[in-house]
Amino acid sequence: MTARQLVLSFEHGRWRACGDGVDVSHSELRGLEALLEAELSGEVPVDAHLAFDMSGLPRWLHQYHGHYCNYTLHVARRGPRA
Amino acid sequence: MTPAGSTNRSWSSGMLRTEDWWSVWVGLGIFAASLVSLAGIDLVGWMARPRPWEWTDLTSAFAWGKLFAPAGASYAGWHPLAAFAATYLIFAALFALGARSLQLHVGRFVKGFTVLFAVTWAAWIAGNELHLTMVDAAVDGRNRYSEAALSWGLQLGEGAPYLLALLAGLALGNFAKGFAARHLGDAARPEWYIKTAIVFLGVNLGAQTLDASGFAFNLVLTGAAATFVAYLFFWPIVYALARRVFGFKRDVSAVLASGISVCGASAAIATAGAIRAKPIIPVTVSMIVVIFAMLELIVLPGLYTAFLPDQPIVNGAALGMTVKTDGADAAAGALLDELMIARNLQLTGERWEAGWILSASLLTKIWIDVFIGVWAFVLAIVWIRKVEKRGDAVRVGAMEIWFRFPKFVLGYFVAWAVYFGIATVWPALAETLERGTAVVAGPMRTMLFMLTFVAMGAMTDFSKLKGAGKIALLYGLAIVIVIAPIAYAVAYLFHRGLMPPLAAP
Repeated sequence: MTARQLVLSFEHGRWRACGDGVDVSHSELRGLEALLEAELSGEVPVDAHLAFDMSGLPRWLHQYHGHYCNYTLHVARRGPRA
Repeated sequence: MTPAGSTNRSWSSGMLRTEDWWSVWVGLGIFAASLVSLAGIDLVGWMARPRPWEWTDLTSAFAWGKLFAPAGASYAGWHPLAAFAATYLIFAALFALGARSLQLHVGRFVKGFTVLFAVTWAAWIAGNELHLTMVDAAVDGRNRYSEAALSWGLQLGEGAPYLLALLAGLALGNFAKGFAARHLGDAARPEWYIKTAIVFLGVNLGAQTLDASGFAFNLVLTGAAATFVAYLFFWPIVYALARRVFGFKRDVSAVLASGISVCGASAAIATAGAIRAKPIIPVTVSMIVVIFAMLELIVLPGLYTAFLPDQPIVNGAALGMTVKTDGADAAAGALLDELMIARNLQLTGERWEAGWILSASLLTKIWIDVFIGVWAFVLAIVWIRKVEKRGDAVRVGAMEIWFRFPKFVLGYFVAWAVYFGIATVWPALAETLERGTAVVAGPMRTMLFMLTFVAMGAMTDFSKLKGAGKIALLYGLAIVIVIAPIAYAVAYLFHRGLMPPLAAP
């Protein structure tokens, strides 16, 4: 199984995942994940490791918590399992 | 292009890129310097320390030495202004080094830090004037208030400098908004200053553990028990209130429930990340949390001191569960500590040892902070599996618990363990250790608390509450009718009757 390392961010009201040759965005996270699944469908099964980019959050907020979220989107052989 | 330091990819991510880690490096670095005293070399005694002074005495014959002096005996020959300059230069350099690693604009940071430092010291010095601090009570057969022949006095004890720092900070944040926004934004980082001070407090905890180990361990354990209350009672009640009474959506309600009931802005961000909410939700909630935390800091210490002066440890623990954000909680705990000591001295003529009420407040809050990572991890799994029903398509790694772990807590416990370990393994060194680290646990720690008060005030703009509408209303109601009463009841259950040891004559 292959893996992609992507950076997740939220800019101008849209979620964006980029890195490793991928760059997709959508207003909803589920929509973004559907785009990612389509983008990566040629190399299934694949894990897309998404790490949130804190630099998109206001600077003053960083002092309270330095981390938003990381997760892995698993794209299975026969499309998304959800 | 994404900065490499703004995402977490390995366990060591952020060690040089977050304020949380930098509070550990600065705090433990200075603590390590103080330990050199065990070899007979004082590396921290240059720190300036304000002295109690009286207005007419100062104006009749001015001398800098009446206002402040070097804290260490080895530096007694230094001019007070030299100690003050060393204090400024060393702390400005340490924090500027951190600011550089945090990718802040170092020039702007140093300018802002200089203003905050100046305001802090002005408040600290002014707050040591005897008309503000001296308490009219006989201690060990002496009444220093009478001896000083004061015609009046506010009798605020060591709480007076904190109150002045808070007022000065709030004045900056609310009456000089433009200046604060332009010049202080980079340096107004109360969480960084307070977390560094909390690492220093590990030294105090070490000394407290030596003096009264049973009491100290009791505080640690009951703090852990109180954590369960915070998560198991507060969260569901506030979530239900947000959903059923205020009609907020599930994601907003969950973020609000964490922000209001667990640990403020940190919890709001952790929860929002865990449930994959849009970042605008925790940004809004955090703004409200920060402002309400300041209101709690202003109201609760005075309220508890006035109406519940005979329950010091209960009051401290209740603060730890009620006041959100580490900065506001530690600041409120420090203020409560000083106000309660002064009030008890006034009422009974007995002086409690300083720091125990603050420790009760802090140890409760620290446990709540530590478990936010576990809570966010559990919430993430529940949300993905049960709410979003994403099955195996979306997975969250257990490493998230570590990423969310408050690293300054490591510094706090390392300082405690090193102090306690040295004094226990080599009892002959205990006295030297106490003398050598007294500057860190005393004036350095107090200065960072003062800096926190000023920085918090400077970044609190009460006018931001306008337009916050239902969120602010829910926050206010939840604090008054849910969090504060339950927190007090739980604190009373665990700590009733506990009194701090009396201070040595």
